[in-house]
Amino acid sequence: MKEIVTVQVGSYANFIGSHFWNFQDELLGLADNPGSDEIFKNHNLDMNVLYRSGETHQGIPTYTPRLVSVDFKGSLGSVNSRGTLYNEAPAPPGHVLTWNGGVATSASEPLKKNLFLESLYLEDEDVGNTGFNSGKNDSRSEIQDKDIVECLETGVQYWTDFSKVHYHPQSLYELSGLWMNIEGFDNYGVGRDAFSGGLRGEEINERLRFFIEECDHIQGIQFVVDDAGGFSGVAGEFLENIADEYTNIPVLLYSVHSPDTSMDPKSRKRTISCNLHDVVSFSRLLAFCKLFIPVGLPSLGKSRTSSFLSLKDEKPYHTSAVYASAIHSISLPFRIEQLGPSSQSSYTCGAMAVNDLVQMLAGQARQNMVSILDVSMPAPSFTGHPVQQYLLENLQPLTPEIVENVEDYQAVESMTVHGVYGAGCQRASISEVKDAVQAAYENAVTRPKFSHLSVARCPLPIPLPFPSIFGNLVGQHGELLDTPISDSASRGSLEVHSIPMAARLRSSNAVLPFLENRLGNLRKFGIARGAPGTELLRNWGFGKEDLEDIDETLSKMVMTLNPYSQESSDSD
Amino acid sequence: MSLRVLNPNAEVLNKSAALHMNINAAKGLQDVLKTNLGPKGTIKMLVGGAGDIKLTKDGNTLLKEMQIQNPTAIMIARTAVAQDDTSGDGTTSTVLFIGELMKQSERYIDEGMHPRVIVDGFEIAKRATLQFLEKFKIPVVMGEEPDKEILKMVARTTLRTKLYEAMADQLTDIVANAVLCIRKPEEPIDLFMVEIMHMRHKFDVDTRLVEGLVLDHGSRHPDMKRRAENCYILTCNVSLEYEKSEINAGFFYTNAEQREAMIAAERRSVDERVQKIIDLKNKVCTGNDNSFVVINQKGIDPPSLDFLAREGIIALRRAKRRNMERLVLACGGEAVNSVDDLNPDCLGWAGLVYEHVLGEEKYTFVENVKNPHSCTILIKGPNDHTIAQIKDAVRDGLRAVKNTIEDEAVVLGAGAFEVAARQYLVNDVKKTVQGRAQLGVEAFADALLVVPKTLAENSGLDTQDVIIALTGEHDKGNVVGLSQHTGEPIDPQMEGIFDNYSVKRQIINSGPVIASQLLLVDEVIRAGRNMRKPN
Repeated sequence: MKEIVTVQVGSYANFIGSHFWNFQDELLGLADNPGSDEIFKNHNLDMNVLYRSGETHQGIPTYTPRLVSVDFKGSLGSVNSRGTLYNEAPAPPGHVLTWNGGVATSASEPLKKNLFLESLYLEDEDVGNTGFNSGKNDSRSEIQDKDIVECLETGVQYWTDFSKVHYHPQSLYELSGLWMNIEGFDNYGVGRDAFSGGLRGEEINERLRFFIEECDHIQGIQFVVDDAGGFSGVAGEFLENIADEYTNIPVLLYSVHSPDTSMDPKSRKRTISCNLHDVVSFSRLLAFCKLFIPVGLPSLGKSRTSSFLSLKDEKPYHTSAVYASAIHSISLPFRIEQLGPSSQSSYTCGAMAVNDLVQMLAGQARQNMVSILDVSMPAPSFTGHPVQQYLLENLQPLTPEIVENVEDYQAVESMTVHGVYGAGCQRASISEVKDAVQAAYENAVTRPKFSHLSVARCPLPIPLPFPSIFGNLVGQHGELLDTPISDSASRGSLEVHSIPMAARLRSSNAVLPFLENRLGNLRKFGIARGAPGTELLRNWGFGKEDLEDIDETLSKMVMTLNPYSQESSDSD
Repeated sequence: MSLRVLNPNAEVLNKSAALHMNINAAKGLQDVLKTNLGPKGTIKMLVGGAGDIKLTKDGNTLLKEMQIQNPTAIMIARTAVAQDDTSGDGTTSTVLFIGELMKQSERYIDEGMHPRVIVDGFEIAKRATLQFLEKFKIPVVMGEEPDKEILKMVARTTLRTKLYEAMADQLTDIVANAVLCIRKPEEPIDLFMVEIMHMRHKFDVDTRLVEGLVLDHGSRHPDMKRRAENCYILTCNVSLEYEKSEINAGFFYTNAEQREAMIAAERRSVDERVQKIIDLKNKVCTGNDNSFVVINQKGIDPPSLDFLAREGIIALRRAKRRNMERLVLACGGEAVNSVDDLNPDCLGWAGLVYEHVLGEEKYTFVENVKNPHSCTILIKGPNDHTIAQIKDAVRDGLRAVKNTIEDEAVVLGAGAFEVAARQYLVNDVKKTVQGRAQLGVEAFADALLVVPKTLAENSGLDTQDVIIALTGEHDKGNVVGLSQHTGEPIDPQMEGIFDNYSVKRQIINSGPVIASQLLLVDEVIRAGRNMRKPN
């Protein structure tokens, strides 16, 4: 077994993480549930890769994500950062052991748990600690599932509002003194200071060490960072420490960005600050990871990715679900159980470790560390369509600022397909999928130089707190229908129980605009004579030499991807 | 108003309104922290929206926990927090002092005096007070063997304001000994060399000082000993796990045997490193029944653990980086980064190494060391918020002891300094000042009394009585402080109540600066962040 430790830094990263862990919890629950589909019982995925076993002081065994999550103080809503699993005996209220004098208690109004959390709580009470992850099949007499879904649709404020997972007390870290909705926490410099301020940096490192120390063969760190604000500064410093301390552990970095919903045109000063922040955070984060995956379209709801979905950009609860699904699919190959060199599983194939993926995508001649994430959600079935092209066409990017239909003979891809349907509304077998993908590539106009395929038969389970984002062409098991189901515009976890997915990482020169935009902004606002942002960058701790280093790194990346680039690095 | 022309949405507060806004904010903050001060203050229990509890009697912690919105209050709070960063204590006093300076000035300003004049008086008074502090402080000779009693008295004074008396007295010994343990002549004291470890277990009175180190992890092999005596300690930063090489070399093989051979070769280099450690162990442990402990900053994988366990070696992996330094200071020897030149001189020594298990948490104690320069304060408590509060108190206590050693001086506590300084300002300094700035000096002098006044108030005493009694004694030439129990004047020196010199100095320095700035504000403009049109 090779362990992965997951790190989530920032609000949006935690929204995505919350969905991600809900999927894992659902998989665990379905595997245990005697009533569930055979496909879930034999998913052939090693959950120990992401989860750890432990026990409480009372000797009760626990099974919790191997996760460090960093967020603002107060971002956990009604959930206690220490979780409920390792609960100590509650202290008598108002009684203080350490002080004989007066006690002044100031209690803030307890945040009301929403219907969903309430129902989880009741469930825990009912069945003790055994049934907490068995999902939606449990009897829930007092609270109707329908009401829960509706309540989540209208009122998700914190990422914990829709989380059904029990976390380890070491997992959730709140930045002390940095409150939610704090003003001005929007650039790299602030975030960096926040990390080094007080004991925060040290405490976060300690949390990570706790999880890494107990791993026998750690294969990598899966790092999700909300790069829109100060959190990329926090993550940058954190990653530098990781690179220092755990030099040989590869870091797979998802740099996520929530859809840009602010309608008002930003002032020029703000735009410059934003652009420079993007450059700086990109270059700093890139320096300390092995594979950088930018995720987050300016408008997810209107993109072609969500042709079968109906979601609202302004709801992080909606959009993060899509990104979480893609990250889930990408993470499958790391957990596929390898039975042995010769024996073939009929449920999965294509296992690889984080390091293998990194080597494959970033270790080739061009050493391009920035990969594009594509997803097809739900993935189309392999039935009937004469041209297998359909699958590849359906894979749409979640990475912003890239070119479509680019011709790149050096592209490298890694694709994961899971739970798709073959002929006759049956889940396609491993070999069917392999053949179909093979055929698809052969018919494609442009073919990558190399591609890796991982297949699992187990689809993406849709847990109860998943948002209602499916369009009316999606059936109960995620099959794409020819005629819309008329009753409602959007369908959620009550109507759709699982969906087939396909996701792909590709290292291609399609990512050029992403790099060029950053390089351009850096030169325009940061380096050019009399540039408006030089002062700003100095405040963030980037002097002239640092900027020139960044410039050089970025130019080199652009050059390797596009040797015919007109823009040479010394065109001052 | 010219600003209105530029931006019709701008809100402007004029002179007196602006000033009163500042004064009120300062007073408001003062009111919040007031009840904290001194050994009779009230402890604050903060209960968050998710039921999480935070206990604190520390002004600094409280300021961090409050979501302060008012800009003036934010400025004061920042000064106070900076006070804590530089000297480790005195946050509450700073806030009280600033608040009181504003309050005293308000009286004169309401009578029509210009803030500028008061500020000038503050400046004169501040300089005089600092000079007075130099005379008033009691030098402490540190030398080779510092006077432990005085260190303990300073620590006790701080700790008794944070914890109940028995607990405070217990910790007094602990923090004084801890600082003396890590202190090296001619070198600044690095408090990080005192590890503060906690266990959620038993009671707060079980808190103790471990001369040696407590690590928050244990060995990861079932066959390793849980307890060993007379141990050699090898502190190292060497990877003992099989990793795929960084470079994308890949295995090129044509048959199964070749592949096996390749893997074995890769594995061999790790095994060789393990073997070198085992060789060293055999060298030093043959012929006696000493044990051997490896504490590694990098990882150790199960096959390596297996090897080591078979040889009777206890091995810990992924030790904290800082513990590498601490281990060497506690046990001796040196931290090695490679196993190539291992020799017995690299090894440290500990009389006893044992493991303590609490649920899934493991602790390794490295104790009975010779001549330690690093130690661990092991805090125990029944729940997290109790532990957190003791931890905060321990940090403050350590800082107080460190300050004393570095200042080579202490100041009489229990309000004695403030009363003495006030009398000095009123009786001596004021007369030398020309004109209306005298009133500024007077305001400053009265503001100093906020500390004894608040102490009295928190003890349920009558503030007027107390101040009259104290100033009376001072005028007679007796330097006295306030007894919290009786309300009578006492001699702080006899009672052993001492404060840090650097803390007092910092308060006197920063308080008037921020108060002056706030007083001189004559207009508050709120016009949004982007006053200029986007161009």
